[in-house]
Amino acid sequence: MITLGSSLKRQLLGWLSVTVLLLGLALMAEAWISSQRAANRAFDAQLQAAALTIAEAVRWREGVPHVVVPEAALQILSTDSQDRVFYAVLDEDGGVLSRNWPVVIPSAWQDRLDAGGLSRDLMTSRGDLRVHGQRVASAGWVSQLPVQVWVGHTLEGRKALAWALFRGSLSRFVAMVLMTSALMGLTVRAVLLPLRRLRRQLRSRSADDFRPLSAKVPQELHELVQALDHLFARQRQGREDLLRFTADASHQLKTPLAGLKTTCELGLRSHSPEHWRDALVRVHQRVDDTSRLAGQLLSLARLRHLDQDQGCPALELTALVRDVALDWAGRDQARDHDLGLGEVPAGPVLVRVEGWALREALGNLIDNALRYTPAGSAITVMMERETSSRDLASRRVQVSVVDNGPGVSDMALATLGQPFQRAGRQDTAGSGLGLAIVETTARRMGATLSFAHCQPQGLRVTLSLPLADDEMQQAPLTAASEEKSDVPVGGQA
Amino acid sequence: MKPWRSMLLWVMALSLVAVSLAGCGDSQDSVPTVEDPLVISAALDLDVVEPLLEAFRDAYPEIPLSFIDRSTLEVDRSVVAGSASADPSEESQPGGAEWRAEWRAEPPDVVISSAMPWQMDRANQGLAQRLQGAEVDSWPAWARWRDEVFAFTFEPVVMAYRLDLSRHMLPPQSHGDLHRLLATEAERLSGRVTTYSPLDSGVGYTLAQQDARYSSRFWDLVAAMGAVDTQLEASTRDMLRGLSDGRYWLGYNLLGSYAMVYAQEHPEVIVQVPMDYSLVLMRLAFVHRHARHPQAAATFVKFLLSRAGQHVLAGQTPLFSIRPDVTGPYTAARLRSQVGERLYPILPKASLLAFVDPVRRQEFIDRWEARFGDSAGKADIEAPSEIEAPSEIKGETADAKASIDTGSLSTQGDSRYR
Repeated sequence: MITLGSSLKRQLLGWLSVTVLLLGLALMAEAWISSQRAANRAFDAQLQAAALTIAEAVRWREGVPHVVVPEAALQILSTDSQDRVFYAVLDEDGGVLSRNWPVVIPSAWQDRLDAGGLSRDLMTSRGDLRVHGQRVASAGWVSQLPVQVWVGHTLEGRKALAWALFRGSLSRFVAMVLMTSALMGLTVRAVLLPLRRLRRQLRSRSADDFRPLSAKVPQELHELVQALDHLFARQRQGREDLLRFTADASHQLKTPLAGLKTTCELGLRSHSPEHWRDALVRVHQRVDDTSRLAGQLLSLARLRHLDQDQGCPALELTALVRDVALDWAGRDQARDHDLGLGEVPAGPVLVRVEGWALREALGNLIDNALRYTPAGSAITVMMERETSSRDLASRRVQVSVVDNGPGVSDMALATLGQPFQRAGRQDTAGSGLGLAIVETTARRMGATLSFAHCQPQGLRVTLSLPLADDEMQQAPLTAASEEKSDVPVGGQA
Repeated sequence: MKPWRSMLLWVMALSLVAVSLAGCGDSQDSVPTVEDPLVISAALDLDVVEPLLEAFRDAYPEIPLSFIDRSTLEVDRSVVAGSASADPSEESQPGGAEWRAEWRAEPPDVVISSAMPWQMDRANQGLAQRLQGAEVDSWPAWARWRDEVFAFTFEPVVMAYRLDLSRHMLPPQSHGDLHRLLATEAERLSGRVTTYSPLDSGVGYTLAQQDARYSSRFWDLVAAMGAVDTQLEASTRDMLRGLSDGRYWLGYNLLGSYAMVYAQEHPEVIVQVPMDYSLVLMRLAFVHRHARHPQAAATFVKFLLSRAGQHVLAGQTPLFSIRPDVTGPYTAARLRSQVGERLYPILPKASLLAFVDPVRRQEFIDRWEARFGDSAGKADIEAPSEIEAPSEIKGETADAKASIDTGSLSTQGDSRYR
């Protein structure tokens, strides 16, 4: 089930916008502060110039300072933005020599004043001012009293300049954002183009086209394309399997049917009722075989088409294995064989499989062993925990059916799991579907089926099942303490 | 100081409209009524400005006006009326107490004065209101300060002489001529020359300051005027009357706006725009910060700046319009085409604030009185001065270069007058 997430394009643009927005806010804050600072610097310089102009106009008569405020100083002070201006020339003790506004300069500022000057913001009843003070002293024939020159103006010019500077930054930033968004839109489009191309290719593909995709894709999409190619390959494989299976099944059904036909024709050609009876007996036998074959084919097909389902409850394996072995030991087919239960682990072994499927698989394995081994062979059903893996998550349990029959050749060992393979044995009554069914069942259960030779002879068929999670938590590996129980459960020697 | 000469209460009202509007008055921004009209405190002769007021009444009949004509110093005092109740953070202004006692508590709505430095000073103190509007934006930038103070006239400063003078001597055409004349005809001119008093008149002081800035030889002229026992008057009108009466033969630094109109009716008075340079005074108007009718006040000032107002100014008053799109007998453009490029307007700039600096003013007046009162002073003796800073003379090239109208009326700084 595919759930639709938000579009890649939107996500990319969204994140980008958030980034640009945050970055932009930071930039704007910085721009605002720096434009304020620039405006202040520019206007403070004018204050200094005005103070200097007034300082230049200070004259001393007999050591007493005297000042005639020059017009130029006021013009400089007022600036282009026509700020209201303030000036005061004070003597050393703060006495007024000349001033235009009755504004009182804080005495702390006056005390700290030196030739370098002092710039401060001053709130007055005539508006907020930026003031600059400077101490003026001069050498002379008689000792001359120093004076303080204070100048100031309203903040309108600064504000206007700061705002103009900020507006410049702002418009540049907005232009940048617009251009970036346009470029990003194009980029996102271009980047997502391969995806669209891929989609088009997939859409126009015919149902039975399993060739690998051919498209130029970026690195990030390469894995997806590979996965798709693998899927196609598997589908092709599955399809081929199905075709082969159908062909094989038809072939398998055709042989007994041809036999039936021959038997019937032979019977019909005769006029003796005994021949008829013989033929009928043979027909009956063959129909039995054929219907068994059909049954097996049916279950194989059904198994293949069943959906994978993981949600089955945990199952205690030991009891099930014991039960199946006991069941088979009591059957007619096991009459001539020594069918027994070998080692089983002590304590419960939990697996998460469907009981009926496991029964079927195990039954098939036992049936197979019974069928393909000569009478008197020993068949043992065993169970053991795998000890090889240290990884808890992949811990498994093995269920094996071991016989001491003739075994199979190395070549046949590899193809045992495939349908209609009988390890070169055509002598016994079987369809060659048994192991294929087990194989399919095992795959469904998440188990693996493996075959191995036994020493000195015989075949060992092992079904390796994954342990249930809770089992692994409950019972840490205790292979050493496994109870050895080799109790024959049935059959005669 | 001369007592204020005339106070004309001039109320215009369209009573029907006024009565109908009286009910919807607002305490904060009340609509002017007949009982509570828009108060204009102005140093501007009523008979000169009357056509303008008529035009305003026609355009805004719902706004009754109270136009109070005063001297420049009186106008300046009226500005601080009521607002002189200074807050505790400020030291009290010297002499502020007596000013407060003298003037009623109500500030005027609109303040008009030709004492430019004082007007600028009041605006610098924050007593003017900023105006907004199309009229403000289209007004030449050089003729407004902070959009609070507006220079709305263009009045050349002239010399005037009586016809009798030309019978005895060649009338002066420039400052140099005047100086020479005073030196050569000292006996005949004794007591017959008049000029603005820089002590009693804000305009006279401003003009003298400006003269001194343009030429250091101005002090020679002052000394020469002192030598011929020049009579000091506080207004152009008084000087013109003296010329008509025959008391004076020659007047220096008269407001051309009044003199030109006066000369038309009094053929014995001749007006001479100085050939070397002529100062131009610009009357400044602003809306008082504590105006009781700020809306109406703004309307009035904007009317002064509007095309309609300036059209009346150019056509029916001798105040001269600076709006380039206005035509009429009294426009700056026309004046310039008549007298050439020698008009030096005093612009509403922060540098004017220096003129009202008490120390500077005292310094200037002391010096003026010293040169003027030094009856033995000869024109060629320059009193040594420790005070005169070089910047005082050369600091104002910007002013001299200021253009009236970049389109047609550019002036050039001329070093000849230094």
